[in-house]
Amino acid sequence: MSRSTAFQFRAGNSFFHRLDPLTKLGWVFGISLLAFGAYIAWVQIIIAAAVMLTALVLARLSVVDIVRGTWLFGLACVSFWIIQTLTLPGKHVAFRILGHPIYAESADYALASALRIYTIVLASLVFVRTADPRELAIALVTQMRVPYRIAYAFFIALRIVPTIEDEIKTIRAAQRVRGVAAKRGIAGRISETKRYAMPLLVGSLRRAEMMVMSMESRGFGAYATRSFVDAPRMRASGVAVCCIMAALVVGWYTALVMGYVHTVYVFSTN
Amino acid sequence: MNGALIDIDGLSYAYEGEPQPVLRDISLQVHEGEFVLILGPSGCGKSTLLQLLNGTIPHTLKGTLSGAATICGHPLAETKVSTFAIDVGMVFQDPEAQIINTRVRDEVCFGMENLCRPTAEILDRQLEALAFVGLEGFGDRSIFDLSGGQKQRVSIAAVLAGRPRLLVLDEPTANLDPAGMAEIFAVLARLNREHGTTIVMVEHRVDELADRVSRVVMMDRGAIVFDGAPREAFARRRAAASEEATAIPLGAWFPQAAEFAIALSDACGTPLPPAEVPLNVPEAVAFASRRMGELEAPPAPSAPAAAKTGEPLLRVDRLTYGYDRRQPVLRDISFTLHGEGIVALCGRNGSGKTTLAKLLMGINPPPRGKLWIGAQDIAGLEPRDIASRIGYVFQNPDHQFVTDRVWDEVAYGLTVRGIAAEIVTERVGEMLRLVDLERYRDRSPFSLSLGERRRLSVATMLVLEPRLLVLDEPTIGQDYERAQMLMGLMARLRERFGTTILMITHDVRLVAEWADRALVISRGALLFDGTPAAMFADKPVLAEAGLLAPPIFDIGESLAAAWPDSGVRPGVMLTALVRSVMQSRQVPA
Repeated sequence: MSRSTAFQFRAGNSFFHRLDPLTKLGWVFGISLLAFGAYIAWVQIIIAAAVMLTALVLARLSVVDIVRGTWLFGLACVSFWIIQTLTLPGKHVAFRILGHPIYAESADYALASALRIYTIVLASLVFVRTADPRELAIALVTQMRVPYRIAYAFFIALRIVPTIEDEIKTIRAAQRVRGVAAKRGIAGRISETKRYAMPLLVGSLRRAEMMVMSMESRGFGAYATRSFVDAPRMRASGVAVCCIMAALVVGWYTALVMGYVHTVYVFSTN
Repeated sequence: MNGALIDIDGLSYAYEGEPQPVLRDISLQVHEGEFVLILGPSGCGKSTLLQLLNGTIPHTLKGTLSGAATICGHPLAETKVSTFAIDVGMVFQDPEAQIINTRVRDEVCFGMENLCRPTAEILDRQLEALAFVGLEGFGDRSIFDLSGGQKQRVSIAAVLAGRPRLLVLDEPTANLDPAGMAEIFAVLARLNREHGTTIVMVEHRVDELADRVSRVVMMDRGAIVFDGAPREAFARRRAAASEEATAIPLGAWFPQAAEFAIALSDACGTPLPPAEVPLNVPEAVAFASRRMGELEAPPAPSAPAAAKTGEPLLRVDRLTYGYDRRQPVLRDISFTLHGEGIVALCGRNGSGKTTLAKLLMGINPPPRGKLWIGAQDIAGLEPRDIASRIGYVFQNPDHQFVTDRVWDEVAYGLTVRGIAAEIVTERVGEMLRLVDLERYRDRSPFSLSLGERRRLSVATMLVLEPRLLVLDEPTIGQDYERAQMLMGLMARLRERFGTTILMITHDVRLVAEWADRALVISRGALLFDGTPAAMFADKPVLAEAGLLAPPIFDIGESLAAAWPDSGVRPGVMLTALVRSVMQSRQVPA
């Protein structure tokens, strides 16, 4: 019995689920631009909080979902923050740990950098959990004019990820029964991967051949275009989300260029 | 053109790079409204023949083609697969591999979207097609939430929506439990009867099909060796060559009702005219009744087997297990194995059978004090230690291969356990001879045929001489004769090593023919533990577990009910039933 991974589409009826996939893609892109443009911790805190609120309220992800999907990145970000805080140079000492000075500038910059990564990961989780890969593929064809054969190749690649994950689990179990011990470390993983590669490749080629026959026998590729039932369209809510994101990005970068953004250290020296 | 939907004349075909043709001088005509069943051993070319019918051969799978073929009015050599898509619908064996989309409605609409049909028409037709296969209201369901039978019905709906003139199916029920299989055959029979759709189908589960098809085509080594009405097809025993060139009886694909009639006619020494060949249980009962008379004293029913004592081989003690505590997959399961030979573990797809087997092997961590092999708690053993006591043959043999050479593959389990080289050489040699793979000792395991790969995976387990061998669904995705050969090998190996076999299956004929004991799991609980004959007599158990009794049992049951004093008792062995009918028979002077 397989259990689904956290980074995988789940059907739902939240505000974000109802948005068209391109709007969601635009939202992730906008969040990324805002995050990359913000080198000050308090701004990153606001962006991260806004994305977290969106995940919980507008995409209706549970806290458990968020933790399952981002804990590894969260750990990496905390490590990154601590190391940068301890190693980056600064002028104003905010506080000391075991006599070691912690500078306000370095702690602030490190926090902004760590939060930036986490914010983008969280926004990606919201996107992946709420965007049906098939709808995204269709949107690429109908809204972005991508050739449908390419869009379907992209969709099928996403579609078979869970199947391949399941097959790897089965191969691992089958080989453990043979007496192959689970290996640890990078070298162990590489030698395990080599052992899985052949059965996985043989199985994937058979599956791919079957998929090709199944698609061709139902007329896939018969014409240069195809019709789409239920093609997602950008509705008023999608237009509103895109406009808000565009305004925020333009406003933020304008404010940066015009010098309206002032640094206020989170870890104050006062 | 002579009005035939399929018109193949003197066609031969060899796959690209293969010297031997897989189809030899095939001539076949199929007319509108026919329901054709194609039978033959693995490797005889039946699936290749189906792939011709929509142009997959020669346009997608290249090769050397000679002869002429016209399908639905289109010449094969000049027509693309996508053009055939309008007239020909294809359904394959594995629903997992052929379903492209993740939502039911999207899958059913897929073909018509490719053909640029208008949206309103597509939506109407998908509703119609889903209703026809009994899946009304399933449009918004995720494919991942459906059972195997439902998925295959979605695959059929996906081609029906395009209203093909010709429906081609390649073993569509091979991966399904009996309940799923019955769903599919009922849909096909209705489609042929009510809509006149022409159906050409490869299938080895003939018991439920024989009285539904209008014609049977039998193939052997790339050629058609029989083409005619079902009663004629099943009127006498035939033989064919298997993939590995060994002669096997074609009876493997005969309906048991016909097999019974042949055996009974042989025993009576009377000819069996084709018109009298029974194709289902009621016909077989009528056939036998005509040959029965009054009986002397009925033989006493055999006594139940005495309960085994001594230390059990395997003990499962009030086992409850689940991935989610609120929804256990297994609930309070208890049973004991004492080395009874072959034990069948039956149940629907998803009933918990494989989960139980994975706990036995330590693939899923077993709870303490619940599973015992001999006096040892399985929870206290490493997977490698368990593997030397219990062997596990996975459904797909490829998953278990870890080396690049057949000899190394069998030796692997011994080598990692530090067995001395000379003992390894001796045991591997003996094992390869037993499974008849010695001639392939230097080949890659992946280059063997499926039947040979299966045998190799069994050998890799048995070389460790485990006391218990678990076979996971030996018939899933397998031809019937391959499963039979595998079970024959099991019987030989049991004699040599005394291994007890726990066979996870929902194939009732396999259970009837080979199992000494049957366990039935339903919704995670043990529903039945007894002999196969007692299981088939227990209708509520069969209904709950989605199982069907084999026709031979139903024939015996009906005869026993119709002739209560005849001494005929329902049983699972064809020869035993023929014998009891003969005993009851008043032989005419």
